[in-house]
Amino acid sequence: MANSQIESGAPITLQELYPSSPFFMEARSLRVTGLLKGYSVETAIGVIEDGEKSLKINTQHLRDVSFRVGSVYQFIGELHIEPNNEPILQARTGRNVDGIDINLYRKTIELLRRFLEIEEDNRNMVE
Amino acid sequence: MDRSQQNTHAKLMTRDIHRLRPSPTEANCFSLGCISWVSRVETVGTIVSRDMAEKFLKFSIDDGTGCVTCIMWLNQLTSPYFSRFDSSTILLHSRTARRQARDIRIGAVARVRGRVGLYRGGMQITATNVVIERDPNAEILHWLECVRLSRNCYRIQS
Repeated sequence: MANSQIESGAPITLQELYPSSPFFMEARSLRVTGLLKGYSVETAIGVIEDGEKSLKINTQHLRDVSFRVGSVYQFIGELHIEPNNEPILQARTGRNVDGIDINLYRKTIELLRRFLEIEEDNRNMVE
Repeated sequence: MDRSQQNTHAKLMTRDIHRLRPSPTEANCFSLGCISWVSRVETVGTIVSRDMAEKFLKFSIDDGTGCVTCIMWLNQLTSPYFSRFDSSTILLHSRTARRQARDIRIGAVARVRGRVGLYRGGMQITATNVVIERDPNAEILHWLECVRLSRNCYRIQS
């Protein structure tokens, strides 16, 4: 059956975003979460951080989101890889998620991914 | 087939909503993994599109496993379907739907309950209730609940 035309943003951690990763692809739809370390009002570009990893976020298409450095944000959008191989997420949605249990989030997206893979394997075996 | 889920809102991830298959014998009834029948679902996701029409609000939610289109009807005051209700009930339905529609904004996380149906080859939800989630952990808890229910409830043959 046909799915909706909007691409779903795969939930990932910033640690999973490295050049040989399957998520590190031009126009890949992703959902990322991290602490806002910096934000430029002039360029509408922010930088989120999770542990040692950081990612630039282009927020120019977002409305009604106020950015506060030190808060945790979650974005859905498409990855753009610049000529110097630096990734930047072109955000479609963004929201403040202060209070999120980030450890539970990490564990849950791992569990969810494993569950979806097992389900897919079982489905392929039946078909 | 287990019919115990047919009149409850089955908590499903979007990927599973798109995998529902219509019943060959019963209208508005869908099978999940050839074991359970469902007609109503509950899902939680980020609102990624919003399109207001005269009679309805169409929006999509993304739960990380897929996107699903939802329709919220806003024509309670003019639709013949509601003429069997008394005027105060119709007014209440109309106000509730319009209030919920106002809260549906791109980027917010919504818990959507409604009937599933097939429209132009794709599954969609006709929303009867939309609640905007303020808890930043709501989606995580929904994912965990969906995994648990999928393993322990929806796929067990009675």
